[in-house]
Amino acid sequence: MSSLIKRLGISVVVAGALASTHATAQDTIRIGAPFELSGRFVAYGAQGKRGVEMAVDVYGGKIGNKKIEVLFRDVQSNNQAAVTAFTELTQQEKVDFVIGPIASGIVAASVPAWRQSKPLWIVPGSSSTQLEDAMKGEPLFFHTYPWAYQYHEGTAKALADAMGKGKKVAIVYSDGAYGREQLPWAKEFYTKNGFTVVATELVREGAADLNPVLQKIRLTRPDVLVGIVQTTDAIQLAKQIHVAKLNIPVLVGTAYPQLQEWAQATGEAADGWIGATTYLPGMKRAADPKLAKLFPSLNDWEADFKKRYNREPEFLDVTNYTSAMMLLVAIERAGTTDKEKVAKELATLNIQTMLGTSNFVPTPGGAVHQAFNDMVVFQRDGDKFVVLFPADAADGKLKLKK
Amino acid sequence: MSLFWQCIVDSLLLGGLYSLMSIGLSLGFGVTRIINFAHGEMIMFGAYGAYFASVLLGVDPLLSLPLVSIVVAVTAAVLFKALIEKVLNAPHINQILLLFGLSLALQNVAAILWTGDARSVATPYSLTAYEFDLLLVPHGRIIAFIVAAILIVALFCWLRFSELGRATRAVAENGQAATLMGINVSRMYMLSFGINAALGAATGAISSFLLTITPFMGFHMLVKAFAIVVLGGLGSVAGTIIGAFALAFAETWVSYYVPEGNGWAEGVAFIVLLFVLIIRPKGILGQAVAVH
Repeated sequence: MSSLIKRLGISVVVAGALASTHATAQDTIRIGAPFELSGRFVAYGAQGKRGVEMAVDVYGGKIGNKKIEVLFRDVQSNNQAAVTAFTELTQQEKVDFVIGPIASGIVAASVPAWRQSKPLWIVPGSSSTQLEDAMKGEPLFFHTYPWAYQYHEGTAKALADAMGKGKKVAIVYSDGAYGREQLPWAKEFYTKNGFTVVATELVREGAADLNPVLQKIRLTRPDVLVGIVQTTDAIQLAKQIHVAKLNIPVLVGTAYPQLQEWAQATGEAADGWIGATTYLPGMKRAADPKLAKLFPSLNDWEADFKKRYNREPEFLDVTNYTSAMMLLVAIERAGTTDKEKVAKELATLNIQTMLGTSNFVPTPGGAVHQAFNDMVVFQRDGDKFVVLFPADAADGKLKLKK
Repeated sequence: MSLFWQCIVDSLLLGGLYSLMSIGLSLGFGVTRIINFAHGEMIMFGAYGAYFASVLLGVDPLLSLPLVSIVVAVTAAVLFKALIEKVLNAPHINQILLLFGLSLALQNVAAILWTGDARSVATPYSLTAYEFDLLLVPHGRIIAFIVAAILIVALFCWLRFSELGRATRAVAENGQAATLMGINVSRMYMLSFGINAALGAATGAISSFLLTITPFMGFHMLVKAFAIVVLGGLGSVAGTIIGAFALAFAETWVSYYVPEGNGWAEGVAFIVLLFVLIIRPKGILGQAVAVH
């Protein structure tokens, strides 16, 4: 008898727990957020998490009367862990919305897991065009970060305009997916704009000495050196270029020349480097006229960020805040958590954000939804950024390194 | 021709860094017969120590190096007493798992404490070089080489001429005989582990202005140091130095003379290691790796 009572008791407790879980699931809007919270890309993941958390907080933590619950998962900067986290979020937690991860390789590894249930997926990272190719025609995939070719397209044109035709370019690229994938694009756009590629040199990620590569490049006497490496290697690359006094007038990076962590680590060696981005600290971007609380002017947003985190925002902080906020707005406007309806709202959003207008457009590579295509080419001048391209936004001219 | 002499200089300077990076690991293994898989994290903590001393206190990494090394050595000695001593006689797999676990834990502690931001100390000498016609000798790297040389000579002198150094060598040769001679073996184990950590931290301090500091920088250096120690001969401090320079020369020459060689350098270096081990399994100057 006592055993029967015990069983009944347990059943009641389990049923109650299940019912409460069900009720909780109905009362909350759950967003999966797999990020690189440890491992070699932890800096990316930390910025991603900060951006998403800040967006939810600014939004007020609720959409209507439903609480927003973000399920952060650590993908450990590891492909297998990313698959596990993604699968757990979509198969067990059954989330319909996912934002993250960021690093190209980790995002690529998550694609098969995404295909199992195809939640609405916002990727605020990965410049890999292999991803663009893999997600061709997918209406639930939204990309809010530049593709690899976008870095070189604008930069090569800006430099051709400023330097004229017939100049020589040398390219240093890393042996990871990041460098190898961008190399053909860099070659294509520099050649298209009248440059001659005189050297392409491979560097090992984490190499202790890049001087052999630089000395070989010195012999080719290029006018431009393009460094396609991740931030950790870019610090050493910039320092060793500075030490080697290569006398190359123009030094070009990808995303890293705008990063404070890169500039602080390289010191005076950062001066004069050129980069391409959709966000520069201190840029003038107005608030959205209708949603000024959620999308304030860039300067106001930066001030709010500094107050909260006691540090300057980085590119991925802004990108992830904007991406998450756009998702929240789309869910509210859809009035439902049906992913197809939310995707439709998201695709048609027309908001003035800190990264530019939020229009999603198809890409030449076949991805359906790509936002923030207006790249700005800039040059570091001491602590300042001088915009070189596009011409209507330019506030200075290219300075050659001495 | 200009590349030839530059290649020699780069190889030598890299060899100095590699020697310091791996010599502590070699000493630690020679005495305790445990491969310290957390050695990379000693380097990482040394780099962060020097970085924060520079950024927060304005102290040059070369000046903070002794203090950073001592702090890391004492911390490592405490960790040894608390954790590692307990597995000294355990199967190797237990030792490996413990030290790998410790390594992962330390990496993530650093990531939590200091974020994953990449950092580096930009001292004036880390951004300048001597120039002799086309030959370039970076100040930062030559300073690192000199510091490495001083520390390695100091280690050799300590091992050869001091009582504790001789006791360390005795324990490395035969722990049981050393015990019978009245040497406190447990203490020597802790001391050699502490010195291993101190040398790792010193490597980190000089890496702080040469390389990029991240919580995960240590693993890559551990792999390299481990290869050097195996190449030179497990437990042989002198062999480790030969191994370090052999690897540095192999990597640098491949980088200079093979098209896109920097990407291949590490692979070629490990092929060299493989051949040495086939021809001479004990490594260049190694003792037979027997369990005692």
